[in-house]
Amino acid sequence: MRAGGFPEEQVRARARTGAAEAFPPVESYGHEVFGQNSSGAQVAADELDAARLVPPVFMPLRLEKLIDLGREPLQSDVDLTTAVGGFTSALPVFLSAFGSTRIGSSEVSVAASRQAGALGIPMVIGENVVPVTGYRREPAATTGMLARVRAYLDEAGPSLGGVVVQQSTEDADAEVWNLVYSDPAAEPLLASGRLGFELKVGQGAKPGLGGLTVLDRDTAARVSDQFAIDDLWSGPGVLRSGSPGTFTDEILRQQIRFMRNNFPRARIWVKLHPGRDVAQAAACAWEAGADAVTVDGAEGGTGWAPRAFLDHVGLPLAECLRRIGTPSGCLLATGRMWEGGRAVKALALGATAVGLGRAALTAVDTDPEHGLRRLVECLAFEVQLLTSALGKYTPAALSGEDVWFPGRSGAADPAPRHRESLT
Amino acid sequence: MEHATSVVVEPAADRRPPPLAEHLNSDTTRAAMLIQQEVLGAARAFLRGEGFVELLPPVIGPVTDPGARGSKQVDVDYYGHKYKVMSSGILYKQASLLTFDKLFYIAPNVRAEPVETCNTQRHLAEFHQIDVEIANGTRADAMGVAERLLTYVVRHALTAVPEQFELLGRDPLAFAWLLAGQFGVLSHREAVDELHLLGHPQSPDAEIAWTGEELLSRQKDRPFFVTDYPKGSRGFYDRESTTEPGRLRNFDLLAPEGYGELVSGSERESDYATIVTRMRETGENPAKYRWYLDVMRQGVPRSAGFGMGLERLNRFLTGLDAVWQVNAYPKVPGEMAP
Repeated sequence: MRAGGFPEEQVRARARTGAAEAFPPVESYGHEVFGQNSSGAQVAADELDAARLVPPVFMPLRLEKLIDLGREPLQSDVDLTTAVGGFTSALPVFLSAFGSTRIGSSEVSVAASRQAGALGIPMVIGENVVPVTGYRREPAATTGMLARVRAYLDEAGPSLGGVVVQQSTEDADAEVWNLVYSDPAAEPLLASGRLGFELKVGQGAKPGLGGLTVLDRDTAARVSDQFAIDDLWSGPGVLRSGSPGTFTDEILRQQIRFMRNNFPRARIWVKLHPGRDVAQAAACAWEAGADAVTVDGAEGGTGWAPRAFLDHVGLPLAECLRRIGTPSGCLLATGRMWEGGRAVKALALGATAVGLGRAALTAVDTDPEHGLRRLVECLAFEVQLLTSALGKYTPAALSGEDVWFPGRSGAADPAPRHRESLT
Repeated sequence: MEHATSVVVEPAADRRPPPLAEHLNSDTTRAAMLIQQEVLGAARAFLRGEGFVELLPPVIGPVTDPGARGSKQVDVDYYGHKYKVMSSGILYKQASLLTFDKLFYIAPNVRAEPVETCNTQRHLAEFHQIDVEIANGTRADAMGVAERLLTYVVRHALTAVPEQFELLGRDPLAFAWLLAGQFGVLSHREAVDELHLLGHPQSPDAEIAWTGEELLSRQKDRPFFVTDYPKGSRGFYDRESTTEPGRLRNFDLLAPEGYGELVSGSERESDYATIVTRMRETGENPAKYRWYLDVMRQGVPRSAGFGMGLERLNRFLTGLDAVWQVNAYPKVPGEMAP
């Protein structure tokens, strides 16, 4: 597995050694001089990476914590427990759906599920898993949807986390939600309030397009009435394109209400692509009762997408967060998340939690047993360090005042509302 | 076979059906089936008397009623294509308006209801409906037929087999109010307000939950209609109000004493473009419904209609605790039964 254009080596190092990677090698302690960019980071990949976290000198919230504790607070006093889309998560982090069809339903994803359960963070299962792998196959199957749910529950505690099952237009034929909701295997999740359904409106890697898959010619011929088929390559494979589905504000509102009506015991999530009207779409979803709205920045995605889309289409995550401003519901952010700095910036700009996609895959690919756990432990340690440095002790207390964008006049204004600091 | 002169009716609320042989050999089942026979005969006599024609609906098709509330459709492999077992006859009822203006089915339907419904005492995965459709009918027309049908059937059954009611310990006085006058009507909004006054949570945007329906039903002494459900709570075929967008021109008929919903009905969407849009709003893929959309595009009359749950009606009539007691071969959601 290769993940190009992504800090792959750094993620793999974290998957091997965990929180130690939050620092330069300990052997160099006392022997070398460090400064900016000594971590090996190159030119910032996007606006969010280019922004800086800016701790103040005066910290009234630290004083509150000092009074509360009766001693000076430390980074270990930052409480990372977060309400994420109707679930209680141990961290402001969740496991995103894996866009890659082949990987999303493989044993790698089962290993990721096990670790997400142990970490107590919510996990999203992609819309491609059931149509490709099938739902049940055999009861003892070691891959696919049910294997992932089982792996998650085997490691999860009694109350943290949750499992969110995606469905898109293509998937509506597979009726995944109905399958899951009426399956006795889902009962432990329902009984503990830890089942969610995510309506996939779009994704960051290819805004405005539906699923793209390469199929052999025979299989493609069988589905040619449901999908667009393009014969692009000399080999045996042809391109199969699914419909992204049609949305208007009324269609989105009613689909969410219909989900709430039909699946009253499930939490309802909505995943949006980084469209120019992302703020209106998110507001519409929250108003209709969505428990969470995920915004997938154009830099995100484990999926396979046309080059023109990777290079030219969709808003970056920072601009999505700016357009949404102060969210009126639970906002989740995805798009090249892997370490604490970017995560804390997204949280400060309005997100309640961040999703790990490519980074999680890379970590599990590095070490199937412990890779994701180590990656997340390192990220959690950094979030505690950074949050306490900003004089705050919960992720929810982070706000726009904590972020400075180079070149933006009035940025990191001491005014506490982040909407103003962004304009 | 000797029949008992009185039946000890066991409370079924906390138990599931016994093995089939025991169920079939029970005096309770026998009494319930004799009452059901009168219901079926009376329903046919009444509807034919009002000018309805009985048709037999298909068992499988490429698509069926998408339903609501989380029930799953059952697939069959049909020459390599995925077909569905009918979850209701709604799509075929609308198409059949090309044949007759007033028609009905009495047919089995299959819905793999969520396992949680096994405790409602009124869900079966396999059940029967009396399905009625009226070309150029209004909601008021459909409500009128449902009310007269229920009244006729109850009156007939009480007269025809009073001894079976006695065997089951069902007091005919339970139906005195039903037979005495018009059914009440309240809007979904009023029903939500009433539940809130009773201290019961209920979303104003959603279907009334099972527990809420039962609670409302316990407050009443005769059947009553609930109308104007919000969009988002029902399928794409229930027509949206033109004067009150967001409200559907539909209704449920609920039995009193906690027995709850007996009938769901509505005026239908018949405009092709509206149906396609409503399909998207209910998360459906219009491509699945090609044959139906082709028919709608050619044009069918506007209509109104309803489905009356046969087992739910029989449970109300017999006063039995659970709906499985009035089905000869009951399939409780989530349980494997012959």
